[in-house]
Amino acid sequence: MKILMSLGALVGALGLLLLGGMIFDVVPSNTVRLIEGYMPMQMLFEVGCYVLGFTGLSYMLNAMGLGIPRFWQGIGFWIFLMMYLKYRVYPPIPFSVRAMYGTVALVTVFMWVSANEEDWKKFKQPIMNVLDAQTGMNRLLRYMYLVLLPILIGGFSFNAMMPKSEEPIELRTVHPAPPASTKVHGKTYVLQTSQSPYRVNPEGKYDQEYSNANIVEQGMGRLMKPNANPWDEKNQGYLKYVREGGEIFFQNCHFCHGDNLNGRGLHAFAFNPIPANFTDPGTIAQLQETFIFWRVAKGGIGLPNEGFPWASVMPPWEQHLTVDEIWKVILFEYWHTGYYPRTWD
Amino acid sequence: MGRVIGKRLFSIMALCAMVGLLLLPIVVALPSLALGEEATAGGAKKEGATVEKGRDVYYKTEGVVVGAPAPKTTDGPKDYPRYNFESRVLLWFANQQHLYYGSFVLAVPIFCMIIEFMGVVTKDKALAKRYDQLAYDFIKISLTAYSLTAVLGGILIFTFLTLYPAFFSYLSSVFRPVMHIYALMFVAESGTLYIYYYGWDKMKEGFLKWIHLSMSVVLNIIGTLLMFLANSWIGFMMSPAGVDEQGRYLGNIWHVIHTALWNPLNLHRILGNMAFGGGVVAAYAAYKFLAAKTDEDRAHYDWMGYIAMALGVAFLIPLPFAGYWLMREVYAYRQQMGITLMGGLLAWLFIIQATMIGILFLSTNYYLWQAMGRMRGAEKYQRYIKYLVFLLACGYMVFITPHTMVMTPAELKAMGGQQHPVLGNYGVMSAKNGGINVIITTTVLSFVWYMRGNKVSTVSWAKFGNIFMGVFFTCAYFNIIGLAVYGYYIPANVRVGLSVPQVTTTLSCLFFMFALNSMMMKGAKQMGPIEWGKISARSQYALIMLATAFTWMMGLMGYIRSSVRLFWHVNEIMRDNSPWAYTHTVGFAANMISANVLFFWISILFVFWLGSLTAKKAPAEVKVAVPGSVPQPVGSH
Repeated sequence: MKILMSLGALVGALGLLLLGGMIFDVVPSNTVRLIEGYMPMQMLFEVGCYVLGFTGLSYMLNAMGLGIPRFWQGIGFWIFLMMYLKYRVYPPIPFSVRAMYGTVALVTVFMWVSANEEDWKKFKQPIMNVLDAQTGMNRLLRYMYLVLLPILIGGFSFNAMMPKSEEPIELRTVHPAPPASTKVHGKTYVLQTSQSPYRVNPEGKYDQEYSNANIVEQGMGRLMKPNANPWDEKNQGYLKYVREGGEIFFQNCHFCHGDNLNGRGLHAFAFNPIPANFTDPGTIAQLQETFIFWRVAKGGIGLPNEGFPWASVMPPWEQHLTVDEIWKVILFEYWHTGYYPRTWD
Repeated sequence: MGRVIGKRLFSIMALCAMVGLLLLPIVVALPSLALGEEATAGGAKKEGATVEKGRDVYYKTEGVVVGAPAPKTTDGPKDYPRYNFESRVLLWFANQQHLYYGSFVLAVPIFCMIIEFMGVVTKDKALAKRYDQLAYDFIKISLTAYSLTAVLGGILIFTFLTLYPAFFSYLSSVFRPVMHIYALMFVAESGTLYIYYYGWDKMKEGFLKWIHLSMSVVLNIIGTLLMFLANSWIGFMMSPAGVDEQGRYLGNIWHVIHTALWNPLNLHRILGNMAFGGGVVAAYAAYKFLAAKTDEDRAHYDWMGYIAMALGVAFLIPLPFAGYWLMREVYAYRQQMGITLMGGLLAWLFIIQATMIGILFLSTNYYLWQAMGRMRGAEKYQRYIKYLVFLLACGYMVFITPHTMVMTPAELKAMGGQQHPVLGNYGVMSAKNGGINVIITTTVLSFVWYMRGNKVSTVSWAKFGNIFMGVFFTCAYFNIIGLAVYGYYIPANVRVGLSVPQVTTTLSCLFFMFALNSMMMKGAKQMGPIEWGKISARSQYALIMLATAFTWMMGLMGYIRSSVRLFWHVNEIMRDNSPWAYTHTVGFAANMISANVLFFWISILFVFWLGSLTAKKAPAEVKVAVPGSVPQPVGSH
């Protein structure tokens, strides 16, 4: 047990040093890299390691008679989490999300320190000591709080009410609801039921399973499956159309959406927001192929009212591409990212 | 002897009256339905060859047109008469208050039925009396609330008639064959409730008690049918069926009622009402606990709060899964409706909803940890609570992470795109399913700890049982999280199906671990009694928080469900042409929901106060005070 706790304490201490280095800009945030494809679990794993590390640290300090009071443990853990989110995770997390996490963390820390009477007494003891002011130090602290707290609250209120020249926040609807049908080049497509005419097997039959089996593998590197190289001239059906879609993509789309389809093309940073990142699981992976067809065909200008504030400069591609070309380019996007279009069974 | 026979006769007659009341609407409605068919047939005969047929917008079947088309309304005093105020807000308020009270009076009799049944089957006579008293306390509260529900229902109908006459006229014309059934069911519900309540003392023992219990079953059947009928109206408004494209009724009332979303709505509302009812009663008990002057009262209301909370949470646990089914059906019915709800215009409201769900589970866990404080022997679990807190916090943070983040353009630029590469992954369904299942499984674990708090298992296989339980929970967490991660690597239709094994895992923990725990604790050594009343005040605030979160969430979900129709009264059939056919801002909606919640709680406090007046008038009974135990129940009502 002691060995485990010592190990935990070591992990906790090292972790704290590392985070301290990141806060004071001595150590870059990406010293321990967040690995693409594993980042969300890595973040949870890291926080879990910190928690176990802190348990070990607490155990060791208690054994040495240097235990940290529960009050400071609670406050310290909350500050740690806030610092972790601000300085460890990159790119920076928007304030609104950090505020949400901070509130949850505050509530859960409260739950922890007040889960039983003994802990709750320990936690509130320093507060009660200051309120009771039995010693000179506590009396001084009480007077300080009496002066500082109103000033602090006043300061926050003033700051909140003060007119600011910052750009206002935007509540952007990234995926507005599509219409039931859309008309492209004179033909009406019902979005719920339409299918890509090019998601076909070598025999020319619509085959979702066949196409799903031939997309690139997700994860690090995004590798092509064996015998599923679209640039093999012998290929027919799905893979042939993926190749044709790729050609269209690199002639028209990659300038903005990037050659890795991650929204970082040559012109991408001229726009804010930058173009959609298709490799993110929150974009095309969440949508039906027909949704993409509608968005590509109609572009930013064709966004519905719900798409406020219409922050998209994508051209209505129906003015430049044929229906077949649009379907093929979508086919390529799914193939390249390793995602499957949403379907309904 | 003669008196007993007389009582039996009275009870059987009362039960027969109830069954009669239950059947009355159906019997009365049969001729009208038949007449309706005859009238249709007659009408068809008169017109001869000019019988017009229409195609059902949902079922795609052909039927004879027997109704008028949905009116094409225009903004003006004819279709939208108004006061100098937003009519929609008035209707929203009337509707929400009616729903709150309706839910409460439908849920509480179900609780009464369960608690009364527990009282009847319990062998411990003192405990049986306590259950009986508790069930009576519950129904007493709901009686005043019932009158208020009827009053609010009247206000709602008048609001419809005066502010939205064209819409209400159309809706009542489509539902004409069942409108009076609904009204008569309400009469049957009232009659049954009053017989059930006032017959309590006369039927308190033996065979008569079973008759009384049967009455609660009849009462709840009527209540549930009433709710199903009311649900069919909102189901029709969201996903119309039984009418053609112009909204003309095609003569098949079952099609009109049985729309695409009716069944999931029914299930979701039953569970939601039960959880809400449990929350309200728990808050009532918490309020009484905090205001109690004696240890006996504190013990009684502590126990009452625990029972109400346990019942509420029992229905809260499957609620997210019922919600998931409803959303799945919404997507299947209309993709754009689903996207508007969860990915588009209303997505942020769903984040608020996730926040509220998290609060519900966090409050429940917190209450259980506090409740372990009144048991000697539960200290051994306290040191592990921090790990449960960690699991809950992680699950909660993932669950509330928005897909569309709120940020300034500068933050957007710094982030390098709309999606955050790390947190963006938490914003999609696969992660959220994992998050909520972790939360629920942890709640189950807290319950297991609570159940064994003051006990030490004496069975020979106790060690093996504990190891098995630990391994089962660990595997459950790994399975849930593993499936959530796996969800990113598979097609969406398979991913949606992954929720099934996740839910099964959670429910397996619930059922198997509860069963295993019960077996292990059979004949267990007690470290000490549960000291009812010796619980922290914080636990009672947790119960009040639970109830408030329920109320707020109900208001929120009602608003979301209603506003997903956007500018339609009846989706794709009857357009809303009033000046208020737009979606409110999130801030306005939140303020409106808060106002509704506040009004409900103020008015329900009045109901509680009325209930306490009746209690004061009750004849004083001899109460035997036993230190540290619950008060003895009164003998009659």
